[in-house]
Amino acid sequence: MARKTVFIDFSKCIECRACEVACEREHNGRSFINVFEWQEMAAMALNCRHCENAPCVEVCPTNALYRDEDGAVLLAPQKCIGCLMCGIVCPFGIPELDSLNKIMMKCDLCAHRRAEGKLPACVETCPTDALLFGDFNDIQRMRREKFTEKAIESTKEGEKISLMGL
Amino acid sequence: MEEKLTPVVCPYCGVGCRLYIKTLDGYPTGIEYAEDIPSISNEKGKLCPKGNAILEYLLARDRLKKPLKAKEEGKFVEISWNEAIREVAERLKEYSKDDPDAMMFFGSARTYNEPNYLIQKLARMLGTNNVDHCARLCHSSTVTGLKAVFGAGAMTNTFRDIEEANVIFIIGHNFAETHPVGFRYVIKAKERGAKVIVADPRFTRTAWFADIYLQHYPGTDIALLNGLIHVIIKEGLYDEDFVRRRCTGFEELAKIVEKFTPEYVEEITGVPAELIVQAARTFATAGKGVITWAMGITQHTHGHDNVRLAATLSAICGYQGREGCGVSPMRGQNNVQGACDLGVLPNVFPGYQAVTDPEKRKFFEEFWGVSLSGEIGLTVIEAAHAIEKGKVRAYYVMGENPVISDANTNHVLKALRKLEFMVVQDIVPTPTMEFADIVLPAAAMPENEGSLTNTERRVQWSFKAINPPGEARPDWWIISEIGKAVGFAGEGAKGFSYTSPEEVLREINACTPQYRGITPERLKKNLAGIHWPCPSEDHPGTRVLYRDRFLTSDGLAHLAAVDYKGPAELPDEEYPFILTTVRYVGHYHTLTMTGRSRSLVKRWPEPLAEIHPEDAEKLGITTGDWVKIETRRGVYPIRAKVTRSVKKGVIAVPWHWGANVLTNDALDPVSKIPETKVCACRVVKITEEEARELIKAVPKVIPEVEVVKG
Ligand code: SF4
Ligand code: SF4
Ligand code: SF4
Repeated sequence: MARKTVFIDFSKCIECRACEVACEREHNGRSFINVFEWQEMAAMALNCRHCENAPCVEVCPTNALYRDEDGAVLLAPQKCIGCLMCGIVCPFGIPELDSLNKIMMKCDLCAHRRAEGKLPACVETCPTDALLFGDFNDIQRMRREKFTEKAIESTKEGEKISLMGL
Repeated sequence: MEEKLTPVVCPYCGVGCRLYIKTLDGYPTGIEYAEDIPSISNEKGKLCPKGNAILEYLLARDRLKKPLKAKEEGKFVEISWNEAIREVAERLKEYSKDDPDAMMFFGSARTYNEPNYLIQKLARMLGTNNVDHCARLCHSSTVTGLKAVFGAGAMTNTFRDIEEANVIFIIGHNFAETHPVGFRYVIKAKERGAKVIVADPRFTRTAWFADIYLQHYPGTDIALLNGLIHVIIKEGLYDEDFVRRRCTGFEELAKIVEKFTPEYVEEITGVPAELIVQAARTFATAGKGVITWAMGITQHTHGHDNVRLAATLSAICGYQGREGCGVSPMRGQNNVQGACDLGVLPNVFPGYQAVTDPEKRKFFEEFWGVSLSGEIGLTVIEAAHAIEKGKVRAYYVMGENPVISDANTNHVLKALRKLEFMVVQDIVPTPTMEFADIVLPAAAMPENEGSLTNTERRVQWSFKAINPPGEARPDWWIISEIGKAVGFAGEGAKGFSYTSPEEVLREINACTPQYRGITPERLKKNLAGIHWPCPSEDHPGTRVLYRDRFLTSDGLAHLAAVDYKGPAELPDEEYPFILTTVRYVGHYHTLTMTGRSRSLVKRWPEPLAEIHPEDAEKLGITTGDWVKIETRRGVYPIRAKVTRSVKKGVIAVPWHWGANVLTNDALDPVSKIPETKVCACRVVKITEEEARELIKAVPKVIPEVEVVKG
């Protein structure tokens, strides 16, 4: 099965933080995606990358972290001992400690929504499509297509202008 | 256990997004995205943070649940609906007999079309045209300005046209933050290769996406727009054919913009001359162009002229009456268009039919079966002044919060204290309610049903998803009961004996030409709604206005020739800074709803005053410091954020938390909008203790209301 993931196109992010509010609503008051603003110029949302070679999965001593059929890296709470190792090795600083239950918590790629055939909440709500969900290579193909479409549009514009003798 | 998805329209902004409320045995358990409904304004069910959080305010603990009667200011006893309705009706009847113009009614852009129609009907049947709503404070300039140029005060196009445009000129509109879901279409257009021009005194999130960014000083819009028009005329880039066939007033326009050379405009606005030339060329030569705006150009003493010029710019480029073109004033509240359409304005009956026109008046006199006043009533701000003169003595406020929303709060407070009688109908306690004599608990929008009209003139039906708390009742029901109790017991349109909002909408269909074919049955079947004008039941609705003619008397666009006027109050030695007001994406107006939403308050906990690094350094201010902002009208304590997004000499303050204590209530002579976007101020660094002291004097946005035993 093709591995699906959340693609982040930060050139389109408007820092509205709808993704955070949606994730928080779907996960009992906890958001697993965060939006950061940089130098009053751009913003970027970041959630778990569900890495192909996930260091968190590698390092977990109890096998609490595992991969589901969509390729999402999930945490089995009953196995987690809260040793923090996954959080330490994650290059993005994703897994956090749920201090109440003394176990780790992280983005589950909205497992409950995927089970119903729905998109992850953050992707579903993102007003500008800065977040997309799908097979990474499919998304890349779509982006290449969009780029060529735009390039062709602008050559057409150029021709029109030269035909009009401007 | 029964799980149900009910389609509603988001209770927040004018984009009018669809979403579902999920309930389990009638209790709300979540929301779901309306990705499966085709052709809605929020394609694929997209929502902004506010739309995502709507259950939080609906379930707020301090929702009003019982009618209340004041014992003294801010202290109430619970009463029954019977008693409340009887008391309100008695009082209104007295004023109506005595001096109907002593009453002022506020409709609401945050409730359905039906109650808005009913409140203006009630006011007018009681003998006064004193009925207005908060559009006065946001888009009244749009309504008067567009009416003057094109003949009707509404967006001429739809979001689809923004998506299909080749150039989008966004002026005075932080589109990405005010209407995130609408901004989707700007981004889609840009992806196709469209150019985006943004003019804003602040480098906003919208400006991030600009190909050309024009940072003019607050209040210099006329000069900027004239400068663009100057270049377009000078270089012969306007649409000559369109101007000849469909516009009038071009000669005067050309004459007046003559002196607005890019260099002269640079002097006034601070925008480099080359950029003005570049923007003008890009806009005029794109083939298809849209102009969008919001409070940045309307909330000025020359707001009416700003809007007329924006419309003029669009018209001379021939960007009217076609797909991918038009002007898009973006409405703030989900039903501000509807409230205007249905005559919650002191000068017009439903459908913008003038109260001064004897023929229209005769129609409504026969329709409602009473004689009607032909005198134009008071606007929101004029009413507050009339209280002071003793002319207005009673307020009926449905779903509005003038204490926070009106300019110059201290003046409003003084006025409200002088009222003899005030009714407030709302869903939660507001600072305005503290002055009420009677409080009527209303159902929130998703707790009852009705039609509403988004910024694109799209009328949609929103269904009832959950039950209102306690004894809260739908707005249409409350006004109908009062209407009946006042004694308007006639049949059909001659009285108030409604049993459903559908009945009210049918009455609207009968008297509002633009809404004639927009019946409840059609709306319920077609969840994407219908764009007015829709003159008959088999008419599909109208996406683009003015294909063949404008709605002016001669069918032509009346181009505006306007000389530069600055703001009413400019910085001087005493008040050296320019103050402007802004908003946050996660908050909405006076915080009555978003302020009760945990996930939003967490992310946008407090206002921050933006100040340029060089100014901040001179005053010894760093990010996070408390400062005191002072104007001739008030003092406001706030923490500072040092940022390059504002120009030197400009301070930007979000107004949600009550910053209108500072703003200027000088009015535009035509639209009567107060100039909340520019005034002069000074800034002083203060300590936290001083700030705490000052905060006590600012009205609390979320007041605690005391209910005492009778
Ligand atoms: S938690 Fe970190 S390391 Fe693990 S999959 Fe997510 S991003 Fe990768
Ligand atoms: S995929 Fe789901 S859990 Fe992960 S960040 Fe998005 S909303 Fe949160
Ligand atoms: S919802 Fe989309 S646009 Fe908004 S902050 Fe998240 S990623 Fe950015």
